[in-house]
Amino acid sequence: MKRIFDPQLMGPLAALLGVALVVALTTDRFLDAGNLSNLALQVSIVSLIAIGATVVILAGGIDLSSGSMVALLTMVLATLVKTLGLPFWPVLVSVLLLGAALGALNGVLSSYLRIPSFIVTLAGLIAYRGLALMFNDGAPMFSLHPGLEPIFYGKLAGIPLPFFYLVVFYTAATVMMNNTRLGREIYAVGGNPAAAKLSGINVRRVQTYAFTIAGGMTAVGAILMAARLNSGSPNYGQTLELQAIAAAVVGGASLAGGRGNILSTLVGALTIVIVQNALNLNAAPSAVQNVILGLIILIAVGLDMWRGEITRSIRRLFSHSPL
Amino acid sequence: MPPSDPPLWDVVSVSKAYPGVLANDRVSIRLMAGRIHGLMGENGCGKSTLIRLLSGVDRPDSGEIRRNGTPVTLNNPTEARAYGVATVFQEFSIVGSLTVAENVFLGRWPRKRLGLIDWDAMNSRTREVLAQLDIDLDPQALTSTLSVAEQQLIEIAKAVAANAQLIILDEPTTALGLDEIALLHSLLRRMRAKGHAILYVSHRLDEVTALVDEVTILRNGRVMSAAGETAVQVDAIVSAMIGEDVKDHYPKDRNASADLVMEVRGMSSARGARNVSFALHRGEVLGLGGVLGSGRTEIARALFGLDPLTSGVIAMAGKPLRLRSPADAIAAGLALVTENRKTDGLFFNFDGRANISSASLLQFATFGFLDLKRESEEARRLARLLELSQGAVDKSVRALSGGNQQKVVLARWLLSQARVLILDEPTQGIDVGAKLAVYRLINALTAQGCAIVLISSDHDELLAMSDRIAVVRHGTITDIRMPKDLTHADLVRADLARADLVRAATDQNAEKSLA
Repeated sequence: MKRIFDPQLMGPLAALLGVALVVALTTDRFLDAGNLSNLALQVSIVSLIAIGATVVILAGGIDLSSGSMVALLTMVLATLVKTLGLPFWPVLVSVLLLGAALGALNGVLSSYLRIPSFIVTLAGLIAYRGLALMFNDGAPMFSLHPGLEPIFYGKLAGIPLPFFYLVVFYTAATVMMNNTRLGREIYAVGGNPAAAKLSGINVRRVQTYAFTIAGGMTAVGAILMAARLNSGSPNYGQTLELQAIAAAVVGGASLAGGRGNILSTLVGALTIVIVQNALNLNAAPSAVQNVILGLIILIAVGLDMWRGEITRSIRRLFSHSPL
Repeated sequence: MPPSDPPLWDVVSVSKAYPGVLANDRVSIRLMAGRIHGLMGENGCGKSTLIRLLSGVDRPDSGEIRRNGTPVTLNNPTEARAYGVATVFQEFSIVGSLTVAENVFLGRWPRKRLGLIDWDAMNSRTREVLAQLDIDLDPQALTSTLSVAEQQLIEIAKAVAANAQLIILDEPTTALGLDEIALLHSLLRRMRAKGHAILYVSHRLDEVTALVDEVTILRNGRVMSAAGETAVQVDAIVSAMIGEDVKDHYPKDRNASADLVMEVRGMSSARGARNVSFALHRGEVLGLGGVLGSGRTEIARALFGLDPLTSGVIAMAGKPLRLRSPADAIAAGLALVTENRKTDGLFFNFDGRANISSASLLQFATFGFLDLKRESEEARRLARLLELSQGAVDKSVRALSGGNQQKVVLARWLLSQARVLILDEPTQGIDVGAKLAVYRLINALTAQGCAIVLISSDHDELLAMSDRIAVVRHGTITDIRMPKDLTHADLVRADLARADLVRAATDQNAEKSLA
């Protein structure tokens, strides 16, 4: 059956394949097994957080707080496991719950107290980084727990675990958005909140759920971040929120809400990471990388906005050809 | 009018179609310098379209617009302004954070060398224009501190400052009080004396007859009566507006029974419904008649759980309801089709199917998972029932005509199995065929035992389709009557309650000055 909400998947996917093809042809080591699995690791954390960013954008909001929240949650995890010596798995569950709770707080402040989510999460962006610095006198903490690194570096049937996290979470999120009542209500609230209210949808509650999901996904990202270097740091996750939003936008999500699709966000994240990877392999300085990342976002959104005009002018081009 | 006198603006047989509607059908109108021309007609008759053509917002599909006898093309509002047309739209374009003078010269601020704004020149020229119009306002006052009426005067000053020869006013008095209307009219008379042409668009008859020199009446996009054909007099205008061939357009079935479906007693809401009481029976259509802003929409909002009740009871099947939200109202079997389907009816990010199911998601959910197959089947069943256009279920509703969009909204409430439907202007802006479909649907629903609250400013429709009509004024129902006891003219006159007050006030003043 035709998917109802993803007429836009094809554009970003074509762009991704184009970018991948160009990179594969121009960069020798790109298709090495080592590089590809490194790529999967690189893309995993931002892609998982981007799920939350997309859900919030679809609901008509924006979440700027996730990067700082990652830093705070890695420091909380470090403190609970290392300083307080609490049992490992319960701590991970608590970190997940704390992330969801902070997300819910974003949701309550923006929907029930009507502070624009841009402002609420901007405050979070600033304040959570400050809170993270209050732990351990602002110093990073290392060698947290032997159980931590396998979460990121472990393999199943020779494939790195983060690959499975991506499959599981993206499948779950896609099913949620396409096949559940909550998903449909999120699209409805983002598309037209007034009409959603008149359809009997509890707009504020749905928005709060969207932010709660985003908080939970941020916590998942934070645990992977801590696992990657077996550490917690108040400096983790800088600009991660913007990368997550960029992934959603490059994937075609509309910041006005209601339009976009979870899988396209993964495509967007992959596009960005592949370009970064290509620049790395070709030893481009990081300053150049940032400039190019900015250009990608502009081009992706521009192509989306001007899609109608572009199609029309291509058609005109062909109709004038002497065939 | 002497035929040698060439009209300032001569609109010759222009037509304009929007998707699904022929909004202007060979409309002609001649606007003379030094005359106030009234443009009348009911909602959706094509008044706004004609204004849009004259002010360069839209271009006609055919026909010609001539200025002083020379054909001109108005490609955009800027060109229309350059030809001396100034339009004061219903929502006017005053910038509240700027001063009176800045607004009067908005976008054309006089400059000094180096491109700096010449404040002195701007303020003194504004003062001149205001003095010329006898408007007593300080050029340096912030417009946000002024009343709506004063802001409207600034719009007119703006037109004069731009040297406009034709001034178009679209429903200029909707937001004005009695004194302010009098003030506006005396200003317009002075402008007429100075040789301006004025096109005055209004549906308030008494007001128009007191002001204009001639009147053009539109109905269904056509000119029903050109200037000079109808005397500028209330009864003549009303009969020209009503026409004769209305009956056939309304296929009304009488399905009303004596069984009570809903009872409202003493309902007041925070938003403006006041002490509303009525009963609704199985199969009945209760029409709500009254002026824009009389409180009909507020009554609908209170019934649908949007505004909390401050007192009173809504009971269905004898049981009082507690409606804290639209969700409660929908669960109780209520539905609200709002006046503006674009702003709060449709989801433009959804196809027809998701628009139809939005109020019934619970029906399709098992542990939160939607049965998409059954959702599609139900949407298709309703699409067939309502004769929706081919493929409407799978297309974005953006691609549908106004009539089909309205059918999508109605399908939503059929799916939610509503027993009482509140329809707020359900046929506004849709073509005749789609209107007929809406009427047939009203018949089908009432035949199945649903009750309908019909809000409509289209009086023909209200009289023809209602079993009983409640007259609403100031948020309350003042009278409930059978349609046969009301005439179209009664309802049109009821719309003029305020204009009657103008006349009463003037009479009183006259008596005082005599005494």
